[in-house]
Amino acid sequence: MNDPLLIAVIIRILLVLILGTAVLVITQRSLRSLFTIYSIQSLLLALLALVLYWQEGIFSLLLISLLTLVSKAIVIPLFLRRLLRKIPIKRDLEFRYLTPISSILVSIGLLFGVYRLFYKLSDELNFEPLFLLGTVIGVSLALMGMMVIFSRRKVITKTVGYLTMENGVLLFGLFVAELPFIIEVLILVDLLMILVLASLLAFGIDSTIESFHERLRNFGMEAEE
Amino acid sequence: MITTLLLVSMAIILAAGVLALSGLIQPNIVWRRLSLLLMLPGLAGIIVASVWVMAGDLQVLIPLFEVSELLAVNFYLDRLSAFFILIICVVSACVTVYSLGYVEHQPEPAQRQWSIGLMAIFILSMIGVVASENYFALLLNWEIMSLSSFFLVILERKQAENIKAGIYYLVMTQLSTVFLFFSCLVTYSSTGSMAVNASMPAMANLSLVLAGFLLGFGTKAGLIPLHKWLPYAHSAAPSNISALMSGVMLKVAIYGLARITLNLESIPLGWGLVLLGMGTLSAVLGVIYALKEHDLKKLLAYHSIENIGIIVIGLGLYSIFTFYSLELLALASLAGALFHSLNHALFKALLFMCSGNVINAVSTRNIEQMGGLVKRMPATAGIFLVGAAAISALPPLNGFASEILLFQSYLGAFQIPSLFVAIGVFASLAAFALMSALAAACFVKAFGITFLAIPRSEAAAQAHEASPSMIAAPAILAGLCVILGVGSFHFFNMMGLNLPVPNLLPVTIIIITVVLIAFLMIRYLKIPVRKIETWNCGSANIDSRTEYTATGFSQPILNFFSPIFRTREMVERSFTDVFRSVLHHGKAEIKTMQIFEERIYLPVARFAMRIGRWVSNWQNGDLDNFILYGFIAIVISILAAGWWL
Repeated sequence: MNDPLLIAVIIRILLVLILGTAVLVITQRSLRSLFTIYSIQSLLLALLALVLYWQEGIFSLLLISLLTLVSKAIVIPLFLRRLLRKIPIKRDLEFRYLTPISSILVSIGLLFGVYRLFYKLSDELNFEPLFLLGTVIGVSLALMGMMVIFSRRKVITKTVGYLTMENGVLLFGLFVAELPFIIEVLILVDLLMILVLASLLAFGIDSTIESFHERLRNFGMEAEE
Repeated sequence: MITTLLLVSMAIILAAGVLALSGLIQPNIVWRRLSLLLMLPGLAGIIVASVWVMAGDLQVLIPLFEVSELLAVNFYLDRLSAFFILIICVVSACVTVYSLGYVEHQPEPAQRQWSIGLMAIFILSMIGVVASENYFALLLNWEIMSLSSFFLVILERKQAENIKAGIYYLVMTQLSTVFLFFSCLVTYSSTGSMAVNASMPAMANLSLVLAGFLLGFGTKAGLIPLHKWLPYAHSAAPSNISALMSGVMLKVAIYGLARITLNLESIPLGWGLVLLGMGTLSAVLGVIYALKEHDLKKLLAYHSIENIGIIVIGLGLYSIFTFYSLELLALASLAGALFHSLNHALFKALLFMCSGNVINAVSTRNIEQMGGLVKRMPATAGIFLVGAAAISALPPLNGFASEILLFQSYLGAFQIPSLFVAIGVFASLAAFALMSALAAACFVKAFGITFLAIPRSEAAAQAHEASPSMIAAPAILAGLCVILGVGSFHFFNMMGLNLPVPNLLPVTIIIITVVLIAFLMIRYLKIPVRKIETWNCGSANIDSRTEYTATGFSQPILNFFSPIFRTREMVERSFTDVFRSVLHHGKAEIKTMQIFEERIYLPVARFAMRIGRWVSNWQNGDLDNFILYGFIAIVISILAAGWWL
């Protein structure tokens, strides 16, 4: 089972699948499916970390894999689903700046742009081709998450955008930066904080940031502009 | 030896500045006097050093502080820089003496301390600019000079007008720095040398470099149309600072222009023509704007523009004559320009100090509300008269000596082979002659309306003469004006320059003899004198309302130039009876269009505002928008990095 070629193929497949989930995150309108997709994406990431642990035997990779599995694939999606049950909205149909189709087109362009950059960098940094693919998809994933943040209006969808971005950073970290484990943990705590804040926002029935501001103004909690 | 002298002297001035600023803890007159008096030996030391360099035609390099080869603050003295340092230090020394009295008139004690401390820094930075060995040191000192003078301009910050003037000044001066930075960098990349005195070969982008230097130094010097900050800043600043800014700081910019002109290996004809054109424009328009002005300090400020124009004309003539290899004429024009720099520094500082005395006494800058001051302030009036005569280029004073040099070189223009250039130079000569006459007219107005006749306000009637130090300082400068004028021929001979300057000494002796004889005749010959009241057209009492006003004086001249200046006369009259025969109330005003402000400055400002509004639309407080900007920025940088790497 320790055949490096086989591992390389597995990693490739996983990366492509992750990319696929990112596209779905951009286009999916139903919130419930969105969370499922996110959960799958996190699961794929956990698997990827596991495979990398298998290949390189660094213990922290195993920990990352476990942590990702527990928090992102299970706890956060569960939390989000519970949230969904309490709010009346089931679908997010509003898009700004970019429609889903144009988002995908931009993502494709982005992928090429990022690839071009890292391909040129790879000579200096001695990347293996596989690692090049991993970093490119990692950065693209982060940027696609960002695209979700500004092109969706509902706070809860924006939260998924943030989470996707973080997954992208994690993916990038797995392949290139070898982030210390403690930082992974800290990022995770940040994610949970985002979730708590987002749920605070989302419990408002109309649940967009603009309307949230409006409500704060009504309570006199925010200065008039 | 010179090195030590110079550095020790500069350290003394710095110490004086620090002393004044540390006096902020407990503002007190002893500290102020002490720090001002401490500055005097420092300035004297630098004067000695610069005269030494000039006399011996030495070239002194003083390494001071070096970060790297390019980023070094080194000093370099040769004849040119030593000459300008001499100007700076002589005027600064007089201003220091003047400040002993003047500073005490400022309202707040802390302001007085600040003014002395900043003044020391200002003087040091000006010396630093002129003495700089490389562009880095020059720009560094240039910035210190700009900033310290900015703070001095807004010293009396209670008046909103002064703050506005200060901001205007700051913007313009930063603009000049931008141009200088650009030109210095381009020069470095073309010649590979940061040295200020490195010769500039005929390179491809020479015209670009020269344009940058012209705009940079020209803005600071106040060349029209880059002059607009000058009248505002000079009238806003305290008078001792105006004297420094107008007398000295403008000369620092002139030093820059002169240095660049002398650095050129082969001077392009265009450079000379541009300098000549801008100089002529500044000289003529400066004096005409001055004629219209009733604010004493603004009037003097416009005269600074005029005189800077004269100096730049000299540099332009030098460039043109050098291009045609007419060495003697070139030498005469250069000497005229440099000599006029010195002269203008002397008499303009003098005039600003006297105006400071007058304004302190009357508490207004409007000359319409002065009058009759010659009886209340005879010393100030006498000194002002000397300055006015000098700036109007009357013999035997120094203004005459330098302008006659320029006239002489103008008249040599018939030797220029190109007909068109010769015609251009003669056209400029005509404008120059016009300017000289108008300047004299303007100072007749300035002196007459301010000092003669009957007081036109209560304050003017109650005015008191200024304190001794405020008389002594301009008196020294007046003495220098006379000496330099009378001895100009001998000074040039001493320096080994054989220039077409008339020997004014015999003229002076004749004038003095005639005046003396007349005085003695009146005094001792007992010529019968009939004392009688002046006939006043039968009117019962003649008061100040019947006097010739400044507006009235300048009206015919302004009307004459109305096609250029778009003057508008506004006359309002109301009558007490229906037949319109008994005048009840009347008001007349002449308005000139601020041609440069309305045609150049305001459109630029409006354009900047429009861009500003457009950009501020982007900042709409929408979170999604901001994230979109971040996304676009990241994408652009990724694409750009991928493309260029």
